Amino acid sequence: MIFVVAEHKDARIKPITIELLVFAQRLSRDFGQPITAVVLGSGIGPLVDDLKTKKIDRVMVAEHQDLAEYNPDSYVAVLKSVLEGEKPFVVLIGHTTQGMDFAPRLAASMRHPLIAGCVEYEKQGDRLILSRQIFNAKMNMKTGLRGEPPYFATASPGAFPADEVESGGNAEVVKISAQPAASRRKLVERVEAPKGKADLSSAPIIVSGGRGLKQKENFNLIFDLADAIGGSVGASRPVVDAEWLPREYQVGSSGQTVSPKLYIAVGISGAIQHLVGMQTSRCIVAINKDAEAPIFKIAHYGIVDDLFKVVPALTKILKDLKP
Amino acid sequence: MKIISCMKPVPDPASRLIINETKTWIKDQDLTFVASEADNYALEEALRLKEKHGGEVVVLSMGGEEAARVLRSGLAMGADRAIHLLDAKFKGADEFSAASALAKAIQKDGGADLVLAGVQSDDLGTGMTGTMMAEFLASAHATVVVGVEASGDGKSLKVRRELEGGINETVELGMPAVLTIQFGINQPRYASLKGIMAAKKKEFKVWSAADLGLPAEAVGKAGAMYEVKEIFIPEKKSKVEMLGGTAEEAAAALVEKLRKEAKVL
Repeated sequence: MIFVVAEHKDARIKPITIELLVFAQRLSRDFGQPITAVVLGSGIGPLVDDLKTKKIDRVMVAEHQDLAEYNPDSYVAVLKSVLEGEKPFVVLIGHTTQGMDFAPRLAASMRHPLIAGCVEYEKQGDRLILSRQIFNAKMNMKTGLRGEPPYFATASPGAFPADEVESGGNAEVVKISAQPAASRRKLVERVEAPKGKADLSSAPIIVSGGRGLKQKENFNLIFDLADAIGGSVGASRPVVDAEWLPREYQVGSSGQTVSPKLYIAVGISGAIQHLVGMQTSRCIVAINKDAEAPIFKIAHYGIVDDLFKVVPALTKILKDLKP
Repeated sequence: MKIISCMKPVPDPASRLIINETKTWIKDQDLTFVASEADNYALEEALRLKEKHGGEVVVLSMGGEEAARVLRSGLAMGADRAIHLLDAKFKGADEFSAASALAKAIQKDGGADLVLAGVQSDDLGTGMTGTMMAEFLASAHATVVVGVEASGDGKSLKVRRELEGGINETVELGMPAVLTIQFGINQPRYASLKGIMAAKKKEFKVWSAADLGLPAEAVGKAGAMYEVKEIFIPEKKSKVEMLGGTAEEAAAALVEKLRKEAKVL
């Protein structure tokens, strides 16, 4: 059996859950194993109805008022009791702030392997080899799992394309009695950060700068280029962490998700967290002195050179073009 | 409040990384090692909490001479003492065997009110070790932390976690607790000359696997839950069109492409 732990919000399945189902459906074909999705929560009827139409075999539902809000202690307790009874082959969880909040505890408490941030897998004989990125996505690592199943894996957002998901199933729905644990952690509040003046969601052109700019003052190059091309300014996480720009400029998984017609990444190496926030842009340009930078893998046009020479040259050409 | 801050030695981010002959790791003999960046944020947060609430900050690391170097940098930043887990048997650890050794060391040192670690390391980057430590210590935990506030009585914490899409959540948890600290929570201080000098006189414990009461099969590579089959540089699947020449020529070619081919200008 292949288990998928569904992630959801406001009674709707989150996109990562669909990606996990794609991962599970591929594994199911290769290893001839059925798929079970597990949902923990309260008032989750609508999303169970949605899940069971996907091509999977079973949906297990743990419904309890104490599961209305995510809590690591309850997730570990409920999932552990389910998994100990079911003894699945693989358990798939999202490589998200929620998934990575409980998966390591769950795997460690059951003393089974966890491979976090998987981007692909292969079948060697009857063995499962999971691959993940290391050194900030510069390299990949293939791992061999030790001991008996279950094997835990968290999947990197964006690694398994959601549009591949197969529907047309009529999965059996099984209710399980959930015994949430006494929780060591209590949710106080959840708030959305203000987007302020840097709302990039509808910007047609975005020029983003990264660590390659070296210091705050050099960000003027990005503002000048954005001005010349008629675009908005974005930034990668290290720029915001270093307080060169306020957090509202950040593009990526913990910042804004954007999809402009043109995205110019300057001095951004392209950590997966950044890529998931801008990879659907229609045209991506990367300017970076490191030819191996992961950003070039998703770019349409690339310039491997010193940004301090290329960007001013580009700005000048664009300014000269203006009537 | 006693705080233990974990520091992982990783290759200096400016290093050129080369895969070794067996393709199981990088050639690390000649590299310079520094503390993984997120661990510096964790240590800075530990020092600020101590400045506010009193107590002590202990830095903890596992590895060879590179770990000792990182610990000395932690002492120079202001930590009170260091624990170095040094043993050839620790080599090749995965997150599971590393977390179990670190947790044992924390217990041997008498436990801690708060254990801090970076949200993820710059090498393996999984973000697992801190949370696994919490399981081995049977402590509360919170990941991806961007704000920490301890209560006046030093018994509980209010922490802010950063979720996807610009959402923050505040959670309350009792101590002892393990927190994984997100990049950007603070601005880590630099070690002063005075700090570097003072570091030399601070307590520096060195413990082996035997000191922790851990058998050889439970630590390092032997105690790992998975083995590294192969390290490789992923193939470029994209059809990126590289524009060469001088910077001016490349810029001109790009504008031409964006106007005539991609038609986005």
